[in-house]
Amino acid sequence: MAEYHLKGPLTDEDVTKLKIGDTVYISGECFTCRSRLQKYIFDENNVLPFDTENRNILIHNGPIVIKENGKWKLVSFMPTSSIRFEKWGAKSVSEWNLKMIVGKTTMGEETAKMMKDKKCVHVSPRSVSPNLWIDSIEVQDVFLYDELGRIEAAWFFKLNDLGPFIVDIDCEGNNYFDHLDKDIEHKKNEALNNLGIDDSFEFTKLY
Amino acid sequence: MIKTEAYEKALFETIKRGATEISPDVKTAFEKAIEKETILDAKKGLLATLDSMEMSKERENPLCVDTGWPIFYFKVGNNCELEGGFMELENAARRAVAKATELGYLRATMKHPLTGYDPGNNIGMNIPDFTYQFVDGDFIEMSYAAKGGGSECFGGTRHRIVAFADGIKGIEKFVIDSFVASARAGAVCPPSVLGIGIGGTANVAANLAKEAACLRTVGSKHPDPMFAKIEEDLYKALNSLGIGILGAGGDTSVLAVNVEYAYTHIAGIACATSTNCMVARRASSRIDADGTIKKMVSPNWFGDR
Repeated sequence: MAEYHLKGPLTDEDVTKLKIGDTVYISGECFTCRSRLQKYIFDENNVLPFDTENRNILIHNGPIVIKENGKWKLVSFMPTSSIRFEKWGAKSVSEWNLKMIVGKTTMGEETAKMMKDKKCVHVSPRSVSPNLWIDSIEVQDVFLYDELGRIEAAWFFKLNDLGPFIVDIDCEGNNYFDHLDKDIEHKKNEALNNLGIDDSFEFTKLY
Repeated sequence: MIKTEAYEKALFETIKRGATEISPDVKTAFEKAIEKETILDAKKGLLATLDSMEMSKERENPLCVDTGWPIFYFKVGNNCELEGGFMELENAARRAVAKATELGYLRATMKHPLTGYDPGNNIGMNIPDFTYQFVDGDFIEMSYAAKGGGSECFGGTRHRIVAFADGIKGIEKFVIDSFVASARAGAVCPPSVLGIGIGGTANVAANLAKEAACLRTVGSKHPDPMFAKIEEDLYKALNSLGIGILGAGGDTSVLAVNVEYAYTHIAGIACATSTNCMVARRASSRIDADGTIKKMVSPNWFGDR
């Protein structure tokens, strides 16, 4: 498992070398997104009010940002679960030309397929440690604040070696968690057997 | 009579403490998990999480960016008298939540379920949520719990009626299957505090599960050996699966398994689960009849456990 320190905007070369299980730290410019932004753009047919060509890292996150002495101040940050945005995942990757999505959990098969086609990865945090991260994030700007609200607006962040994150979907369409699932399933059956619940157990059907 | 000023002050302090300070029992559970963790990346993740949580107290910022559903539990002495009555207690709790949101201790997370309207203060229809328990005495104890979106939205809260024909095996199979599905890829933010409610109607079981997840002291055991054995068996079983912190692999998948029960109908056993995320945020305070406010280290919702 290799460790990489990447700087955005990311290139195909930057991301194709990443394999599931690798560790990455990220620098450069990115934007945040939750479901209201994707719904606003893809379901309600609005135009994204900024260019993602040089900002091709998306973080699924609803940060706490306050205004202090006329400047934005990041109070807390933690990537949120990507899987709930699967509906718009493939579209986001292709239409926004993303090279990396940062989020808790992972994305589904459709997004992973698009990531393989377009050369994009998904990375996931290994801790809940906002205080170890906020000093590595500079708030640059915000878009759609009035339309989507403070939490779900698109925030522009500049990252300074933010991490560590684990690569959970690589450009070959492999998913780290799928691999782990097989092992967990095997151990689950062992644990059930140890409790006297054998493989043939079936719930009495009540409904 | 306890003055409005006293309980409003206590409510605000309790919310702020719950949002920004790790509970001592959760901290102990983290330290134990760090000590026994054999997967290096998982150990680093647990350490980073604990470090960040300790920094929150100093920086007075939220333990996690998702500050959750605001939920209050009141254990009320039967002779407790509050200025303005209990409706004013709930109004004061709403004011305290709004103030904590304005000051950045809580994120404005609560929104309208259909329109997505964000009131900006975490106050809306049936939110915050209030639960009461009545006991002898003239005091009031209050607990604030923040139930995170991850822990609640990805199947960490489930319910099934188990037939008496399936008994404990059925209950344990339901719990293990549910937890594995909900913890996939770290969705419910494991290592979890897993609450299990057994018996009652479905909503009684679900409430017991939530209270067991949010209000039991982490590391405590049920006093009835039958239920303590289920807790211990499931704790061992779930920690043998290798799910680990945020589901990326590790030795600790649950910080605790807490079971609470109610008598049930001869027709079946309602069984519910509720996971609390690893930061397991809560805080409690007590106000005596003379208005003295004391911080409590544990909610005391289930007596000494």
